[in-house]
Amino acid sequence: MTEANGSTAKNPKVRVVIDGREIEATAGAPLLEAALDNGIEIPHYCYHPKLSIDGSCRMCQVQIQGQKKLAIACNTPCTEGLVVDTRSDEVADARRGVMELLLVNHPLDCPICDQAGECYLQDYSFEHGSHHARTTAPRRKGLKRVPIGPRVVFDQERCILCRRCVRFTNEISETNELRVFGIGDTSYIGTLEGRPLDNPYSVNVADVCPVGALLSSDFHHKRRVWFLEETESVCPGCSNGCNIKIGAFREEIQRLVPRRNDAVNETWMCDAGRLGYGFVGAADRIREARVCDDQGQQVVALDAAITAAAAALRRVREEHGAGAIGIVASGHLTNEEYFRLAGLARETLTTVSVDLAVPLGEGDDFLIRADKAANARGAREMGLVPGEAGRDLAGILNAVEAGEIRLLWIIGSKDFEAVVGTERALAIAGRLETLILQDVQPSGLSDKATIQLPGATWAEKAGTFTNYVGRVQRIRPAVHSPEGVLLDGEIFAALTGALSGRAAVPFVPSSVFDEIAAAVGAYAGLAHQSLGGAGTNPADVTEGVG
Amino acid sequence: MPLSHELENRIRAEFPKYPEKRAVLLTALHFVQEEQGGWVAPDCILAIAGLLEIDPIDVKEVVSFYHMFHDHAVGQSHLQVCTNLSCSMRGARGLVRGLEEILGVRPGEMTPGGEFSVEEVQCLGSCGSAPVVQVNNEPFLENVALADLKSLVAGLQTRRRAAVGE
Ligand code: SF4
Ligand code: SF4
Ligand code: FES
Ligand code: FES
Repeated sequence: MTEANGSTAKNPKVRVVIDGREIEATAGAPLLEAALDNGIEIPHYCYHPKLSIDGSCRMCQVQIQGQKKLAIACNTPCTEGLVVDTRSDEVADARRGVMELLLVNHPLDCPICDQAGECYLQDYSFEHGSHHARTTAPRRKGLKRVPIGPRVVFDQERCILCRRCVRFTNEISETNELRVFGIGDTSYIGTLEGRPLDNPYSVNVADVCPVGALLSSDFHHKRRVWFLEETESVCPGCSNGCNIKIGAFREEIQRLVPRRNDAVNETWMCDAGRLGYGFVGAADRIREARVCDDQGQQVVALDAAITAAAAALRRVREEHGAGAIGIVASGHLTNEEYFRLAGLARETLTTVSVDLAVPLGEGDDFLIRADKAANARGAREMGLVPGEAGRDLAGILNAVEAGEIRLLWIIGSKDFEAVVGTERALAIAGRLETLILQDVQPSGLSDKATIQLPGATWAEKAGTFTNYVGRVQRIRPAVHSPEGVLLDGEIFAALTGALSGRAAVPFVPSSVFDEIAAAVGAYAGLAHQSLGGAGTNPADVTEGVG
Repeated sequence: MPLSHELENRIRAEFPKYPEKRAVLLTALHFVQEEQGGWVAPDCILAIAGLLEIDPIDVKEVVSFYHMFHDHAVGQSHLQVCTNLSCSMRGARGLVRGLEEILGVRPGEMTPGGEFSVEEVQCLGSCGSAPVVQVNNEPFLENVALADLKSLVAGLQTRRRAAVGE
């Protein structure tokens, strides 16, 4: 089900025959695109589905019936009755010729090249090149491993001058840092003195570069790509919900790369999102449960901390009523977790003082959203909103200061601290009888916690996020949580069990999602299984049904 | 101030001749190179871009593309040896090596006093008289033979001395 080419969707359809197979294509769309969309592989370097046509690499040459010379498929518009041969001897010859010229000066340092294993030049050389070199001339020397910007490394010798990176900075980031300088066989990619490749989307050039010429500094010489286990997920950096692949090796995240979703992020992601995964394996990550006694915080087993949290919640509620309990969550949990948390708050604790703390940062008119949490919208839709006559965040803070709220349960205290400000957050902590923190990252409040529950990161979870326009997208676990750490949803399930006196209901995200679909109006009609790789916007589903 | 007022005005005077300011780029580069020591320095690139209201990287791209513009300092006599196909087939590589021996510099380098520099260039458009050498913007030297190089360099040195009145 491809949603691509929204822009040409209104154009009429035409019939094109490629290698004897008749396919339907959009009139005027590049022949190469039509072939690729139909699973017909035509080798190409300079063509990229989200960049303008360049026609510079000549790798995509095909034979078109009625034309004497080979034509480049990327710059041939689909027209009715076009008959194309991608497998003739002449085409094979042309490809071999292009490969030979590209390799004349190529350093062939695949053994130390990060691109190896996902390199077009390697793959096409194997498939379409000739397996021996005819030239013995010395290869052109160029810059090796130079930073072309703070987050991208450049290897001039490997560049095949396809100009994808130039078009990216011209057309997508609109920052223009890269250009082809020089002429002929002395051409090279370069920047202007004093203006390095430095924009919020700069590392995308490493993705568009078909060879190992532009590389992510973060991933440079880190891991052979064929050792990566890749998991389809969604970026947790902001509410845009860019689709990604998490590349992990032995339980450690090595990189995030964008995954194409034309309805969300096309093929791009921002640098902050791409490089923001460090907290998952950080040395200072909160891995231990702690409970405070007369001697201060003590490390305890997680179930002991959960029992202590349940006891504190029960005691405050019995002694001072549900109004003495406040819950503030970050926007980083899954819908399924929020649904359980909202149920726990509303039904088990009957507290109505529930709200979110979502830090605001910079946003732009492309991908980056100002709210720096992936799932604030989902949280609210799952019921993480102040109940009737309940208190919102400001109300909760005031009530703590007035001594009315005695127990505050903060899930994600780093975000809480960012929103409330360190000084006030500390003052709030000082006013409380009980401060429960459920955290992945430490904050200024960490050592003030009465009870600390270690949380899990998005990379460890299955579930869904709802992005800022309401698109529901799946995340999948790429690594395991540290030893002894439960998923936040499992903590909510255990607390619900402890407080209600019933056996805890196991937390199974896919069945919670089905409960959500049955209970939350906007999610009616969604099924966990049908979300697929690209997610669904409930609004579209409803339109489709109606 | 990388460009003098006079130079700026000279460039501005070209604007009315074209529909767009950016069209003046080549002319502006010629003026700047003439008056600013034979090359276009980075701050001149910025100044030209400012005048023509274009991105400085566009200016640098053009400077680097054409062999008659230089983004680095070149010698007073800048020897451009065409090493494209026809000239290479007719001995251009030997000329480059010959100049290397006589002047002690390799393509892209300049003699210590700044008198000579050598550069390999793309086809000069005179393939019929290959191999071709061009000194600065002077008429082509055609069918150049290895044996001609010594007298060519000596001639340029004599001319240079005469010019400075030694
Ligand atoms: S650096 Fe990569 S993307 Fe840019 S022109 Fe070279 S090969 Fe193409
Ligand atoms: S725009 Fe937002 S969702 Fe997309 S990559 Fe950046 S931080 Fe992640
Ligand atoms: S992909 Fe068609 S010319 Fe490069
Ligand atoms: S190849 Fe030298 S002038 Fe054309």
